[in-house]
Amino acid sequence: MHDAYIVAAGKFLPGDAISNGDMGAYLGSIDNQSERLGRLILRQNKIATRYYVPSKNGQYQYNNADMSALAANDVLEKSGLNGASLDLLATSTTQGDLLVPGHASAVHAALHRLNKVGPLELANFQSVCASSVMATKAAFLNIKTGCAQNALVTGSEFSSRWFQPAMYEAAREKLENKEKRMAAEFLRWTLSDGAGALLLQNHLSEQKNNQNTAFKIDWIKLISLADRFDTCMYAGINGDERHVLSRPWSHYKNGPIEATQDGSIMLLQDMVLLKRILRAWVGEYLKLVDEDIIIPAQIDHLLCHYSAHSLREEMIKILKSTGGMIDEEKWYSNLTTKGNTGAAAIFLMLEEFMEKKIAKAGEKILCVVPESGRAMVGFMMLTAQ
Amino acid sequence: MLDQHVETRSNSKLVEKTLRGLTVVWADFESRLEQVPIIAKINRGTLTLADYQAYLLNIRQQVVDGGCWIARAASNVSVEYFDLRSTFMRHAVTEHRDFQMLEANYVATGGTLDDIRSGVKNIGSEALSAFMFQRASQPNPFGLLGAMFMIEGLGSRKAREWGLLIQEQLKLPDEQLGFLLYHGEHDDDHLAEFEDWLSAVVHDEATGQDIIKTARIVGRLYALQLEEIEYA
Repeated sequence: MHDAYIVAAGKFLPGDAISNGDMGAYLGSIDNQSERLGRLILRQNKIATRYYVPSKNGQYQYNNADMSALAANDVLEKSGLNGASLDLLATSTTQGDLLVPGHASAVHAALHRLNKVGPLELANFQSVCASSVMATKAAFLNIKTGCAQNALVTGSEFSSRWFQPAMYEAAREKLENKEKRMAAEFLRWTLSDGAGALLLQNHLSEQKNNQNTAFKIDWIKLISLADRFDTCMYAGINGDERHVLSRPWSHYKNGPIEATQDGSIMLLQDMVLLKRILRAWVGEYLKLVDEDIIIPAQIDHLLCHYSAHSLREEMIKILKSTGGMIDEEKWYSNLTTKGNTGAAAIFLMLEEFMEKKIAKAGEKILCVVPESGRAMVGFMMLTAQ
Repeated sequence: MLDQHVETRSNSKLVEKTLRGLTVVWADFESRLEQVPIIAKINRGTLTLADYQAYLLNIRQQVVDGGCWIARAASNVSVEYFDLRSTFMRHAVTEHRDFQMLEANYVATGGTLDDIRSGVKNIGSEALSAFMFQRASQPNPFGLLGAMFMIEGLGSRKAREWGLLIQEQLKLPDEQLGFLLYHGEHDDDHLAEFEDWLSAVVHDEATGQDIIKTARIVGRLYALQLEEIEYA
């Protein structure tokens, strides 16, 4: 078995940082109630700036695959690796640009335009935030087993397209329901766009060793709890039918237009279920603590993805009484400045963390990526080189 | 209690470990509840009034014993844990009227006192109640702190959550939901005391493990009690 290292990280964020007050100019306006809830949600998630693909006049300069490719190109430029040397491209996103074919193919094609990347192996992961961990694990295992020497991992989100007023218009009356309204607005005022990328290799170059931060990947674990939990964050089904998935968007007699009118094409989050799932995530973390797989006192840096600051507070409350807490000064996050970018978030966090050269050689970095979609949580343990 | 607490601070790691184990057991239990038919109905908004009445009737048969097993446990706590004995007794007093609220809620929904009082324990309630009394009959039955952790958790985390969900889907007035809504408001105080109780009794690994195991058994049997409701 080979060792696997994260030798470089890249990013792409579209346009300028958008302040809370300017969000409406980019997302458009649904109604006054939406703006009021927006202010409340922003106080809870504590996000101050984020990035959006659409310009103020609604022009789209990039698609999701472009953003992945631009972040991938950034990592290739930083590492100095020739794109032709890549063996594997593993992508992750919540929703690619097309229904068919997969996002990875589009990213590969876009990366070819940017960097002459030729034929290589693809791995295409679609879930929500934790798809980033799936993609990283695929690359990690390929490197470990010697199937790849140079593997590129991307995570990207184009969330803002879900939040344009036209996406809600056909089923506006559904938003009259208080619970559905909150389910829609929480995501609308929390998620944003961007892409991150990692380059994994089976070795460290001399130069890398001396000058730049690199991380050895010790282990990656991903645990799904979909065996017990209902769907929590979803699109493609009328919210009332999400529990049994009886009628996805494609099953309507009169086709996708009827599905849209029935509210099947909205991105929604069950806020009540989210709280229950949060305790299950913490439970999975504490199991790893109990098994001495994670020893909180030995963690030097915690990069934990969370969708809103209020959820962080909730987790800390449980961790403090159970000996599972990692001191808050060891937590690193850029949620407030780069927003919640879903599958891109952990890569954008790692990119900034590496750029700032925060970790010293030998230090342990724990990455935690919970996903509410249908209850999942990913963990990655890294050692700074 | 306070004196004991100061003396036993050296066991803080053991207390943390016990609480960690209990939190893991709780998380497993809570996620298991998602799959229990009557709870899934509450979560999915498909509960009927008959389901709610069946819930009240089934739960009442075990809650009626609630104060009793804690009182029996109190009577088996030796004098060196005198303060904990007092706590158990106080706790028993607060619990032992709970079934009356269940009965009142049942009647308010249109059921009769005779019906709910003549109900029998379902097999989950039988197993749960028998287990509690068996444990409570042992000398210094500190494992039951694990049982209390689960029961308190149901009160502080689940009862109000279920109460509000049921209220929303069945449009019931407060007087039909007192048992569920009341618990959410009052049980937080009990949980705050819990860490002190653990500090007083957990001085070795085995005691902590016994508390955690007891909690796991109680969770499993409580879920069984709820699973059996549809077939009662």
